Amino acid sequence: MNGMERLTAAINGTPADRIPIFCNLIDQGARHLKMSLREYFANGEHIATAQIQMREKYGYDNVWSLLFAGKAAEFFGCSSMVYAADGPPNVGEMVVKSYADIEKLTVPESIYSHPAFAEERKSLQILRQELGGTYPICVYITSSMTMPSLLMGMEKWFPLLLEGPAEPREMLLQKCHELFVKEVAAYRQLGADVLVYSNPFGSTDFVPMSFFNEQSLPWIKKDISAVGKDRMVYYCGSARFNQVIDPVYRATTLGSYYLSPLDDVAEGKRAIDGRALCCGVINDIPMIDWTPQQVREEVKKIIDAGKPGGKFLFGTLVMPLGIPEENIEAMMDAAIEYGSW
Amino acid sequence: MLEDAVAKYRRAIYATNRVDAAKVVDEAFKSGVSAEDIVFNIVIPSINGMLCSISSQPGGASIAQHFIASQIASDIVEQMIPHFKQHPTISGTIVIGTAAGDFHGLGKRIVIGCLKAQMYEVYDLGLNVAPELFVDKAVEHGAQVIGISSLMVHTARGENGCRKVREILKERALEDRIKIIVGGAPYRFDEQLYCQVGADAWADTAMDAGPIMEKLIMEVTS
Repeated sequence: MNGMERLTAAINGTPADRIPIFCNLIDQGARHLKMSLREYFANGEHIATAQIQMREKYGYDNVWSLLFAGKAAEFFGCSSMVYAADGPPNVGEMVVKSYADIEKLTVPESIYSHPAFAEERKSLQILRQELGGTYPICVYITSSMTMPSLLMGMEKWFPLLLEGPAEPREMLLQKCHELFVKEVAAYRQLGADVLVYSNPFGSTDFVPMSFFNEQSLPWIKKDISAVGKDRMVYYCGSARFNQVIDPVYRATTLGSYYLSPLDDVAEGKRAIDGRALCCGVINDIPMIDWTPQQVREEVKKIIDAGKPGGKFLFGTLVMPLGIPEENIEAMMDAAIEYGSW
Repeated sequence: MLEDAVAKYRRAIYATNRVDAAKVVDEAFKSGVSAEDIVFNIVIPSINGMLCSISSQPGGASIAQHFIASQIASDIVEQMIPHFKQHPTISGTIVIGTAAGDFHGLGKRIVIGCLKAQMYEVYDLGLNVAPELFVDKAVEHGAQVIGISSLMVHTARGENGCRKVREILKERALEDRIKIIVGGAPYRFDEQLYCQVGADAWADTAMDAGPIMEKLIMEVTS
């Protein structure tokens, strides 16, 4: 079976050789191609080449078109990204410095033809051509409520969202929503198979339940109903969301939930209750220092909790660059061994 | 009276309601509760009550609640200090910033609010702070503690973050005088990481930072 067949089987709850394994190797592509992160991220061909080769090397089931999350700020005019030698780039300039700047933000006519999308478009076209229909191509999309943090910094977005004047807040959310809708359309046009809807504000680690019900959920509903639930995955960064799976499902009927590594996998599965795909995620940050045996034990724990009854996928979080290769191999070996049917 | 005010104040900060929190304090002050009691018996115990971390635990609070509670507490303490019978004793001094290469300031802002409310003198060095600057500013302000916040794994573990600050403290023979506390997502996901990067302590939440600071300062002064 190939990755797409495994994913389809897991979503439908039909037989497969094993559960799907999603491994998010992003920055590792630069090391794989022996180049700096800046050079790597400058060309969509690099991304696609590394994604294809790393998937073949380790044997997991997905690839990513992602450059890096902060890049979406370029759609609103951000022109400064800060590169590091050992980790993902950061937004180097906040385009919204005052509330007055919100009015000046212009949502691009088209994402597909936008210069800031050119390399990701190239990456997606190559991935589609090489792997289309055989291994799921994942893309990352920032939700309406999270996008402002890339434009003004979380430090300033938090007070505006929680306590700030309604007019600039609603205007910013609306513009980010319009961008979101256009991004999804571009990704679908290019044949993305898995659209990861990233929204820390959809987690009760981030906001209290009352705020979630009154603000987060209506915006989640608005985002999803504008683009449709097809191929969308609910994800809150590294923040937990077991507590809100049921209301999110009821509001959106989204078909996949990519848990936090801090979520209890069995509890998440119970909350999903067979209605959707549950993705159990390994805490890959300490994987830098773990022994291969520790990695195996952790993988086993997650799969033991999530695999019974099917409709389960094993996944990773950010996979920091410092994780030794032997630990990636140990994780894959264990996921294949324990995840086989 | 005081118990009633504490209960109302707690409800207000859990509801992220700044207006109600200010009203509780205002009413208490007008009815004769001293500025010292407002700070030490209403505000500080209430933010300490949020200690039980993030919301998946019963009674826990979210980051949004921590944020609002810390900002309210800091503002109220600032308003109350001029009404103290005696100028309050400073609990200690900290310089704080995000690690080199890290541009995420939310956590730092929450910590600053909490520490100010607990009578710490706080110098905010901003975002993307060079390791040398942490040490230079700590020496300049006589700080007992350097606080380094990181949201990203590579800025927490990298050579120009806490590791380098530790190295500089060692080179300048300042390790007995200045301690390092770290915080941020990578430390929550790997609770032993603070040791590896050479910090003296880490704080899971901003609310935890005060009591940990107190311990570090005791180590320095003793």
